[in-house]
Amino acid sequence: MSILSSVKRHIDAISTGLKYLFASSRMTVRYPEYSITLRDNYRGMIRYYKDKCISCSLCARICPADAIKMYRKAGEKKMYPGINYQRCIFCGFCVSICPADALEHTPVHDIAWESLEEMIFPPEEFGREWVSPALEEGARRVKAVFDEKRGLTHVPE
Amino acid sequence: MEQSSLTFRYKELERAWDGEKVYEVFIGPQHPASGHMRFIVRLDGDIIVNVEPDIGYVHRTMEKLAETKEYIKSIPLFERATIIDSNNITLGYVRALEKLLGIEVPPRARYLRTLLSEINRIASHLYGLGLAGIFINHSTMFMWGFGDREIWLQLAEELTGARLTHTYSIPGGVRSDLPQDFKDRALKAIRYMERRLKDYMKIFFNNPVTVARYKDIGILKKEDAKRLGIVGPNLRASGVRYDARLVEDYGAYREIDFEVPVREEGDALSRLLLRIDEIKISMDIIRQVLEKIPDGPILAEKYLRLIPPKLRKTMEETGRVKFPGLFASLRPPPGEATARVEMGHGEVFYHIISDGSPKPYRVRIVTPSFRNLLLLRYLPVGHRFMDFPAIYGSVDYFPPEADR
Repeated sequence: MSILSSVKRHIDAISTGLKYLFASSRMTVRYPEYSITLRDNYRGMIRYYKDKCISCSLCARICPADAIKMYRKAGEKKMYPGINYQRCIFCGFCVSICPADALEHTPVHDIAWESLEEMIFPPEEFGREWVSPALEEGARRVKAVFDEKRGLTHVPE
Repeated sequence: MEQSSLTFRYKELERAWDGEKVYEVFIGPQHPASGHMRFIVRLDGDIIVNVEPDIGYVHRTMEKLAETKEYIKSIPLFERATIIDSNNITLGYVRALEKLLGIEVPPRARYLRTLLSEINRIASHLYGLGLAGIFINHSTMFMWGFGDREIWLQLAEELTGARLTHTYSIPGGVRSDLPQDFKDRALKAIRYMERRLKDYMKIFFNNPVTVARYKDIGILKKEDAKRLGIVGPNLRASGVRYDARLVEDYGAYREIDFEVPVREEGDALSRLLLRIDEIKISMDIIRQVLEKIPDGPILAEKYLRLIPPKLRKTMEETGRVKFPGLFASLRPPPGEATARVEMGHGEVFYHIISDGSPKPYRVRIVTPSFRNLLLLRYLPVGHRFMDFPAIYGSVDYFPPEADR
């Protein structure tokens, strides 16, 4: 590499760095104040509809992480699924195999628990509706937008 | 007592290296740049005389675990070998399984698999290039590589519903159809990346500071690359035109017009530049896939027939595939099948043996990182110690993949 081209390349590198110093393209979002709206097909927390369930136990059989277990109440004949979020890997096989559409993904994933026991949901609680805690506390919704100049940006909805 | 064992160790070393004084430097497993592995580097002054890669820190007995699971449950398992390239690594398994089951994949599903494979390849290369940058303390490259990777993860999330663990390819097809606005968004991402790659060249690949660290370092000759059984970009940077996408008929690659990039130099710089070339080619493949993708089902007819009509209707409405109940216990006939797939790191090879039960008798995985590991033993020898991170970065070695 000649000295001249070396100098040019040094200048190129430095000027590119300076360009991004002034026109930065931040892709991240300040989370608790802003919350990215996930698309409908996002594989988030799973919601169970007991009234649709036919107790076929396919969800428990296909679960690769053994997160879903069938529960039977004393005196009842039928078994219903419950989930253990300690084990769930959100592959969505249970939702895909359910022949009665009794399971569905919700576009919510920012849930945290204080203890491991709270992560186990028997059939009665498996059906609960999931709400993002950030949105509950008034986070502003933003959505991902592709931009030819800035790459990925998030704009208010 | 302790002193005598130290003396013994020293004498042993002295014998081993012809009486030369040799330092032993341990890199890892805790050092952030070493990944989940350890290198025992022996130095004569500042010159590397021997490197012993010590692997296995993230071994998760995947092959053995697969024997205890029904066939379909191993897809999310193998995904975790190379989480940054999860469609490519599971595609080999799914293809071998399809061969056992005797299933044809519909054309649209083949195109969708190719689409996600190429998105994964770009993300994987950006990850590798970013890490190569931080290995020589160029944190801008690290931030840029990881930042721009986010664009491809976003596209993958919109297609599959998950950022990394897509679990997208299943026996007989794929799990979800193309979202309506996907083409438009993907083309914007490609145009951004093309513009951005020019800045990558300026700030990193043409920057005299980094070129000095990479040029003529860790040269892998063509003959050595063939003899050591190296795969992937590391092989192609040494002048060998070999790619599983060319030799195996899978995905939509036979119907797509693309060139596999090859470079002749074989040094660390050419290995990195080859990945940039591949990102460009991958973006071109994505463009062609989005253009040429045929209409039709995304799951094999054999399985579609087993799904109740009511669910088939919801499938059409939502674009998401429902599994037939049979998937919980797939029983391929007794036999063997193999499949190769080109990942971002190189070629992955699967060998499944079935005994007719719902669980495989044996699954063998040969991952590209395991085959490329040999490079870390041979390439650094004779170089200065400061060249070691540069060589390690250029090889794009991924420990969890090699350890399985």
